[in-house]
Amino acid sequence: MLVLSQAASNKPKTFMWAGILISVLFILGVALPTLLPQQVSFLPPLSIDTDPENMLSSDEPVRVFHNDRKKEYSLYDMIVVGVVNKTDPQGVFNPQSLKNIYDLGEYARGLVWEGKNGPEGVIGAEMISPSNVDNIEQAGMGTVRFEWLMKSPPDTQEEAQRIYDKAANLPFLKDTLVSGDGKAMALYIPISAKNLSYEIANKLRAKIATFKGNDEYHITGLPIAQDTFGVEMFIQMAISAPLAMLLIFLLMWYFFKSVKLIVAPMIVAMVSVIVTMGALVMTGHTVHIMSSMIPVFIMPIAVLDAVHILSDFFDAYPRFKDRRKAVAHVMEELNSPMLYTSLTTAAGFGSLAFTPIPPVQIFGIFIAFGVAMAWLFTVTLVPAYIMLMSEKSLEGFGLAHHGEDEHPSSPLAKLLQVMGPFTYTHAKSVLAVTVVLFGVSAYGISKIQINDNPVKWFAEGHEIRVADKELNARFAGTYMAFLELRPAVDTKKAFADALWQALDQDSGPQAKILKDKLPALNDVNAVKDYISGQMDAAADDEAYDAWDALATLVDETYGRFEIFKHPDMLRYVGALQQYLLKTDLVGKSNALPDIVKTVHRELFLGKEDAFRIPDTQNAVAQTLITYQNSHRPNDLWHFTTPDYDKTVLWIQLKSGDNKDMNRVIKAVDAFLAQNKAPVALERNWFGLTYINTVWQDKMVSGMLESFLGSFVIVLLMMIFLFRSLTWGLLSMVPLTVTIAFIYGIIGLIGKDYDMPVAVLSSLSLGLAVDYAIHFLARSREAARKHGVWKDTIGAVFGEPARAIARNVIVIGMGFTPLLFAPLVPYKTVGFFISAILLFAGIATLLILPAIITVFEQFLFKRKDA
Amino acid sequence: MRKFLLLLALPLFLASPAFALDVSEIVAKASHAAYYQGADGRARVKMEITDKQGRKRTRDFVILRRNVGEGDKDQKFYVYFNRPADVSKTVFMVWKHVGGDDDRWLYLPALDLVKRIAASDERTSFVGSDFFYEDVSGRNTTEDTHELVETTDNYYVVKSTPKKPDLVEFSYYKSYIHKTSFIPVKIEFYDKNGEKYREAAAEKVDTIQGYSTVTQGSMSDLRSGSKTVLTYSTVQYDIGLPDDIFTERYLRTPPTDYLKK
Repeated sequence: MLVLSQAASNKPKTFMWAGILISVLFILGVALPTLLPQQVSFLPPLSIDTDPENMLSSDEPVRVFHNDRKKEYSLYDMIVVGVVNKTDPQGVFNPQSLKNIYDLGEYARGLVWEGKNGPEGVIGAEMISPSNVDNIEQAGMGTVRFEWLMKSPPDTQEEAQRIYDKAANLPFLKDTLVSGDGKAMALYIPISAKNLSYEIANKLRAKIATFKGNDEYHITGLPIAQDTFGVEMFIQMAISAPLAMLLIFLLMWYFFKSVKLIVAPMIVAMVSVIVTMGALVMTGHTVHIMSSMIPVFIMPIAVLDAVHILSDFFDAYPRFKDRRKAVAHVMEELNSPMLYTSLTTAAGFGSLAFTPIPPVQIFGIFIAFGVAMAWLFTVTLVPAYIMLMSEKSLEGFGLAHHGEDEHPSSPLAKLLQVMGPFTYTHAKSVLAVTVVLFGVSAYGISKIQINDNPVKWFAEGHEIRVADKELNARFAGTYMAFLELRPAVDTKKAFADALWQALDQDSGPQAKILKDKLPALNDVNAVKDYISGQMDAAADDEAYDAWDALATLVDETYGRFEIFKHPDMLRYVGALQQYLLKTDLVGKSNALPDIVKTVHRELFLGKEDAFRIPDTQNAVAQTLITYQNSHRPNDLWHFTTPDYDKTVLWIQLKSGDNKDMNRVIKAVDAFLAQNKAPVALERNWFGLTYINTVWQDKMVSGMLESFLGSFVIVLLMMIFLFRSLTWGLLSMVPLTVTIAFIYGIIGLIGKDYDMPVAVLSSLSLGLAVDYAIHFLARSREAARKHGVWKDTIGAVFGEPARAIARNVIVIGMGFTPLLFAPLVPYKTVGFFISAILLFAGIATLLILPAIITVFEQFLFKRKDA
Repeated sequence: MRKFLLLLALPLFLASPAFALDVSEIVAKASHAAYYQGADGRARVKMEITDKQGRKRTRDFVILRRNVGEGDKDQKFYVYFNRPADVSKTVFMVWKHVGGDDDRWLYLPALDLVKRIAASDERTSFVGSDFFYEDVSGRNTTEDTHELVETTDNYYVVKSTPKKPDLVEFSYYKSYIHKTSFIPVKIEFYDKNGEKYREAAAEKVDTIQGYSTVTQGSMSDLRSGSKTVLTYSTVQYDIGLPDDIFTERYLRTPPTDYLKK
């Protein structure tokens, strides 16, 4: 590929202009369709996707099931608004606060507008707010009453207190709408689509700003966290990425002292990022949480090779005093390592294409592409840029360090000059320490906790974290998961069989007619309609009565398979709820038994001992029909289907950590295994908290496979590069140690293995091997010149080691601005990029020479042979 | 005025369009046509609730109704459930009082329980359907102010606005009252934003014993996409229902003679 560099050196202007032109084209390719979508409709506009659910492809069974069940049970993603009053002794249960809450609820209910596919916004009818839920209670003299809990805001303190008392008496509302301590209230605002939550939350905030009093409002819930993250992610990228760029620039300035010269790597990084992101958008991909991190990953990789060139040039120029010769020398020396480092990095990321997670695939593919671009621009634009500088402006460049190979003067050079011989004299100690560290890392890795929680993607102190804490301390939990239970057998078929048998035993002529007709009738409604038609057409009272009796027979038979009206099934579900409460993971669960028990209690004068499941199916059915005389009869269908064939437990969790969700899943499975249900059941989960665990599992296993795959690929490339199995294996040592060490630390400090951490393995692979390639390639070259390793060390720890060390410092430091990001994944990435670079650098400069020292005979002899 | 659950006494001569009627007369006649025809009446009713997902629930019941005195005032209703089988024999009884809150009872046989239901709010669901209690027994015409907004070839269009808007969820409703039968053929409810969210319709009208009778009526909840259809069969008027049927005593021991076909 030297040809390219030579061409660029010969026609620097052409190449620079080409670089500028390409950038402009890509910028326009994104900007035009985004700003002028109508005129430039042939190109896709920039579209942003902030939904972590899209970590799974939309036809993923768990998502299909989730959306299906949301529809079936009329469930929606919810914004949770918590209201706390810390100054009033009665908390929010005072007339002023309740007036505010009332106003907020009514305001929220009106946040509906006409969208593309019908109305969108808040689903008013399903909202849980005091003015929008029903209270059922005693009204004296054996009277039961359904009323809106808070039809209008109360005027007096007593009335305000009564509202709390009423709500606290209803299991469905206690710890959900009103806090157990009687001080706070939470509104649950269902929305038609998750990506409206940020907008709706802002409108609520604006409304809240007009309220009087000392109420604190906290807005949270997974949809809010996810949508807010998306919005902040872009703000973040707009600040952090340029800041990182600036710091890299300053550090390079420090090392190379020439602003003009270091503009080159900056250009390479910019153009690479522009082309990569441009290609991403222009190929119609959305900018997702993962792909938004592409610039952060491309930048260090792009700068890395350019820094090698500069570093080399910096040292070579004083010798040649001619930029063309110096550039030619540098490019010749670096050509092969740069190509290979780029190939290995691209392979590391490219392997992500084989993970089962679409956004990670896109991420990997485009970074691989970006790495290729960075290589291309490095080998062309950097030489071209240097050639465009006048010899004059290079005057004095590197001069201060002239002859530093013999007399190191900079602290870094001094340190390296000590380090080199140290690895020779203490080779065995270095290796021993490495082995010990490796062991400790292995232990650390065994301690790794796989966990994630989108709310924790916000830094501690972010309003979403604060809200999360406040609300989960007072209420049953803001994280929702839904557990569906259904019979393991096909009840529809069982019903058909049972009806057939029942008709078989009926000797009446109508029963025979119906039996003969049965195969043509699809379901119970068809049977009912048929009988109904026969009743209308009945010739006489006798026939009418016979058909009427058959209608009842069908109905009775059908009722036997409405299994979630069976008292024993409801008790079983109730026992599961009790059991879940004892696990401490679940704040509360709402389910069908709660409704039955509550209504049953109110039917029997509100006495606590009547808070139970009645003993017969008819009694259950009549309790439920009483419930359906309320303002919100359809609340029943959040918990079961009209055929009572399935039931859903709405589970409120105080923690959205995947590990906690996984523990709840295990707990449920343990219960189902240990307690035999009267009718054998199947269980299925849905809800955002659950979905997060599914994509996490895929992420972890997918990442591990892709990592192992790319490890093998990189190893093969190394064996090919060095034409030697041993040298190939040797080059894998620093990255193996680095990855082990990084993940060991993650395990030891108890940092959760989450989305960004998972992706880091690929980054480590790509970057850490780079240093090894540079070090080993130049070591072998130097060894050829110097003969024995002992003499070679000095040369290797001269310019080559400095290039690596500069790289480590420039790029490692360059990413520290991410540490100040308000979004934790960026912090994590920032911290670990720095740590990986630092450790990979150290590993390369300490472990490799130590191994070469110890196995010198073997390594070089083998090669020579 | 509204609903068709119960029936009528509408001698046709009363409905001559030759007279220019004022709105209170129209409303009174519509109320009569919908709820007061005959001295009493009974019907078998099939209720079918179909939700947005197309899931159906049915309830079969018999409804008995008796007017108290003359002049479209108080009434008594007795609703006896046959199916679903597990709520069979459940009874819902109403004493409608034009001058005050209604009395309502629920008898739940499996719990052997007679409960009174507080009348504070009549705009709650009737046994899980899209009809409200108030739709079953009829909203007092005096609770709203009525305005004749349009007279078409076939209908008087009356807009009714509640006198106490805080007590109801609608801001007004519009009734399309048939000019000759005075059956409210369509009623549209509008919310506070002026959006129509609920609609009642008389889908089938037959003349029975000389009375125009709604034999199929529906209520749609436009927000939830749910619709309830009531189909009336074996409708009879002036059968001489005794007054004592409509008492607590008959909740536990239903008046079988009047409930059979």
